[in-house]
Amino acid sequence: MRFLYLKLLITLLLSLLVVQSAFTLEAPPLKGRVNDYASMLSPAAARSIEAKLAAFEQETSNQVVLLTINSLEGDTIEAFAIRVGEAWKIGQKDKGNGVLLILAKKERKIRIEVGTGLQGALPDITAGQIIRNVIAPSLRAGDSDKGISSGISAIIDATKGEFKAPAVAGKAAKNKKSNKYGTFIALLVVGTIITAMAASSSRTAGIMAGGVSLPAAAGIGLGAVLWKLGILAILGGAAGFVLYLLMKLFNASGRGGGGSGWGGPTIFYGGGGGGSSSGGDSFSGGGGDFDGGGSSDDW
Amino acid sequence: MKRTLFAVFGLFLISLITGCGYNSMQANEEAVIAAWGNVESTYQRRNDLIPNLVEVVKGYAKHESDTLKAVTDARARVGSMQLNKDLINDPAAINKFQQNQGELSSALSRLMVVAENYPDLKANQNFLDLQKQLEGTENRINVARERYNKAVQVFNTSIRTFPNSLTNSILLHLKRKEPFKAEEGAKVAPKVKF
Repeated sequence: MRFLYLKLLITLLLSLLVVQSAFTLEAPPLKGRVNDYASMLSPAAARSIEAKLAAFEQETSNQVVLLTINSLEGDTIEAFAIRVGEAWKIGQKDKGNGVLLILAKKERKIRIEVGTGLQGALPDITAGQIIRNVIAPSLRAGDSDKGISSGISAIIDATKGEFKAPAVAGKAAKNKKSNKYGTFIALLVVGTIITAMAASSSRTAGIMAGGVSLPAAAGIGLGAVLWKLGILAILGGAAGFVLYLLMKLFNASGRGGGGSGWGGPTIFYGGGGGGSSSGGDSFSGGGGDFDGGGSSDDW
Repeated sequence: MKRTLFAVFGLFLISLITGCGYNSMQANEEAVIAAWGNVESTYQRRNDLIPNLVEVVKGYAKHESDTLKAVTDARARVGSMQLNKDLINDPAAINKFQQNQGELSSALSRLMVVAENYPDLKANQNFLDLQKQLEGTENRINVARERYNKAVQVFNTSIRTFPNSLTNSILLHLKRKEPFKAEEGAKVAPKVKF
């Protein structure tokens, strides 16, 4: 019986980690800056575009991403593009400086979806002109390598002056913040396990451990900045204590401490988001937003 | 012992307040208001484009005065609407807003169909640019409407579910918000006159 509660607690914690997955059915997984699902590019061209875009992000923090798909399956390219934008979150969070170039092979559609922060530098008209005058003619002539890479270059030229990459210090501070969450969660888990173990040996030890370890974990892990979560964790401890009292009423043999899972859930919501890429192998969107701006056309 | 009991009771009370949805419902309402602001500004963006568009089309298609007049009239009706902060709490006002904007949408789409008949107009760079801007704006309107509906759904659900419903009926008295219905005006095919 004792272990049953421990097991339940652990399952609860684990299930909370899995919860956050939105419905990204239509948007394919983000593979990198070049997502050539329709195999429209030669390997050499794909590599050179990838390198060019990586260097561009290093310099300006703008994220430009290419996606080619075989078919829209009856959807409009505008609706598909905004879903991809929402799923991939290209661009930095506070700047909205992402651009998506999307091509649908079967429908012969092109769309440039421009993040909210770059619509001044790359307005709908310019996006339309890039499609009409730069990308479409080459694609019509059958040279998709040239069409796509010159289109990417035109997007880069248009959005060059808008943002500068932040100094390295800014990035380090960002990492530190996410580490804080990590420490807190780790301490919380350790506290929970200690509480459970103490509770299985003796009732009073369980109460003590539950009362002390969780608020302590919250305090150490969070510092003054994230005091809100700390309060929630303390509330969790209190809830655990109340739960224990209730259990004691129902079951004379009793088991102590426990609880604490109640403070846990709220923490994981805060953990999401953030995390921009800094080049290298792994690439992910920085949290940029799209409002449907941009342009689309046929080729 | 008494003091400990008080402390426990106090903590319990605090947990009640954070758990009753008092804050989250208001946050959800603010999200609806923000989403509505985006809806209004995207529609305004379209309104601002129309005079230029009408001017360019006029230069090439003088005989389409009916179509042009329909657009200008619909735009004037949209412009005469009183938009205040309470609009989103009033289903009738929302419907009126939607109806007027829908009429403008269909007048505009008729104009764009008519423009297809004038090769010179279609080749005009100015017209092409305006057309692109209009397309982008219509797309932004769609996105803003969809996001508004999502925010409304979250808000409406949050004021109806327990225990938020209780908090709302006692303390906040927030009203249900009206989502956009599927646009009828835009879906109606333009009539062809012989």
